[in-house]
Amino acid sequence: MRFMVLVKATKDSEAGAPPTRELVDAMMAYNEELVKAGIMKGGDGLQPSAKGARVQFDGEKRSVVDGPFTETKELVAGYWLWECKSLDEAIAWVKRCPNPMPGPSEIEIRPVVDIADFGEMVSPEAAATWDRLKSEVGNG
Amino acid sequence: MRVMVLVKADKDSEAGVMPSEALLTQMGAYNEELVKAGVMLAGEGLHPSSKGLRMRFSGGQRVITDGPFAETKELLAGFWIWQVRSFEEAVEWLKRAPFDGGTEIELRPIFEMEDFGEALTPELREQEERVRAEAAKLGG
Repeated sequence: MRFMVLVKATKDSEAGAPPTRELVDAMMAYNEELVKAGIMKGGDGLQPSAKGARVQFDGEKRSVVDGPFTETKELVAGYWLWECKSLDEAIAWVKRCPNPMPGPSEIEIRPVVDIADFGEMVSPEAAATWDRLKSEVGNG
Repeated sequence: MRVMVLVKADKDSEAGVMPSEALLTQMGAYNEELVKAGVMLAGEGLHPSSKGLRMRFSGGQRVITDGPFAETKELLAGFWIWQVRSFEEAVEWLKRAPFDGGTEIELRPIFEMEDFGEALTPELREQEERVRAEAAKLGG
């Protein structure tokens, strides 16, 4: 099963505060363990929402709203993509994660949808296209 | 630069309502354009938050809260990772996406190694590159 592991933003991450040397070292060692165990398939950190934007869709209309966005604790600051045998295995790995922020923080674990989960909504042609696109982008 | 495109949840995605075949077809065509243009590096959909959980980090403490989570419009339902020349190019690509009905999509620049400046020592940079290469081999 694949999981998306979402690191929530905090005041510090939104302020663009750089991580301490200790945290970078600890996180790098943790990433190395994840890779050795075959868990980590991808992961990145996001710049503060001040550098981002939102696009709203309504009919043909597209409205762009520039960041920053205020509801800090609901913003994402980074993510991993993991391959685990079960949700329990993902939980056990998250428990070992160094606290990614200087203060209290929160990480959300969400199972990723596989094309098979869409059932008969997906025609065989659409499923084949998806598989081909995934292999072209080297993602599964 | 790389940009993360965050697709927010709505009542339907949180209720586990699968997209219609028409929308899946439009989205498939859009993904195909993204891949052909060399823009799409990855993309996934997430199961509703009722299948996920959150873990709170505070000192040595790890506290788990099971989903679902109430603040639907701040939850994530899916994402892409795009490779673009500029943030504006990402905005232009996003405007062409087949969303509607007030959907809001967030664009966030991804931290690249250069963004960390001198805090990223040559040793850490080498470790980061090794971890990324190995994770990519695992299909990331």
